[in-house]
Amino acid sequence: MWNQARIVLIEALVVAAAGGALGWFANALSPRGIELGRNYFPGGPAAGLSAGGAGAARDRLAAKGLQALSHEEALALLQDPRAAQGEVLFVDARDDSQYQAGHIPGAWQLDHYRMGQYLPDLLPAALAARQIVVYCAGGECEDSEFAAVVLQEAGVPRDRIWIYTGGFTAWQQAGHPIESGARGSGLSPSPPASP
Amino acid sequence: MNHPLHSRPWNLPDIVGIAARAILAATFIGMGISKALDPVDFLKLIRQYDTIAQPWLLNLAAGALPWFEIFCGILLLIGVAGRGAAVVLLAMLAGFTAMIAWRGAAIADMQGIPFCQVRFDCGCGAGIINVCRKLIENGGLILAALWLAGSSRSRWALRWSWSKEPASLEG
Repeated sequence: MWNQARIVLIEALVVAAAGGALGWFANALSPRGIELGRNYFPGGPAAGLSAGGAGAARDRLAAKGLQALSHEEALALLQDPRAAQGEVLFVDARDDSQYQAGHIPGAWQLDHYRMGQYLPDLLPAALAARQIVVYCAGGECEDSEFAAVVLQEAGVPRDRIWIYTGGFTAWQQAGHPIESGARGSGLSPSPPASP
Repeated sequence: MNHPLHSRPWNLPDIVGIAARAILAATFIGMGISKALDPVDFLKLIRQYDTIAQPWLLNLAAGALPWFEIFCGILLLIGVAGRGAAVVLLAMLAGFTAMIAWRGAAIADMQGIPFCQVRFDCGCGAGIINVCRKLIENGGLILAALWLAGSSRSRWALRWSWSKEPASLEG
């Protein structure tokens, strides 16, 4: 019996080693693979069990040295004439499918998990802008904060970067204009606000 | 060449063994594929457990674990090193189940709701799910893995065990 148990345990160890090696190779070869050497979550521990809400988001931002922007301030910046001149930039930190489905009009895309895909196009505009508003879905979403850190590390001064804490959810619920598809593709009719 | 075991009629343990293999294999292959298709989403979800501090280790878990699960599922499906694969899955299931229960309790405490009303995406590859339902499901999977880990032979298996005795049975 002990001999059988020993064989099973050795078998399990070999399965674990082979599976681990296969997983490592498959991840390395996959176009969607995770870069093992990157810190995808710079600036602090997970916020998954926070109490939530705008206050919690502002506290979290303050702890990371980031500036929060309210819904009204974000709307005012979008309507600011400087936005049309590229001095005010909106950056959407959500993934591609969410961005394509709808984003704040004129927003650039920066899914920081796929940084190499978006940063080269965005960076010259971000370096030239006076004010950059980064947003994600809102609520407990932290991707806007990570994207802001990516921009800082790429050379954009910290004091030019603001986090719109309400995010796209608050924007959409308020019935503000939305653009779908590529940046600059034109406005989409805004869906009715959710209750 | 007919081994005497080959002509043995099917019995209840044979059927239970095949069912356990099918359920575990389908679960782990399906959930592994779901995670492998969107490893970034899986990375975000496992970070919420706040149990892995080192970024490289978190990345490795998110990148490699989905393929690891698929690999173990395929071993069970074709019946190669099935007992070893079952032991590995048993260890994983025990760990995952404890983490899900811990996080469910933390969410229940934070939101002030009964434990069984907690719903969250546990990173298991099935989206948002009720925590009690998930724990019951995992309990069933643990029983299936235990059964297979203790089975010295199985029907429809290429090489169920590496022991020198011919442990695999043909249908």
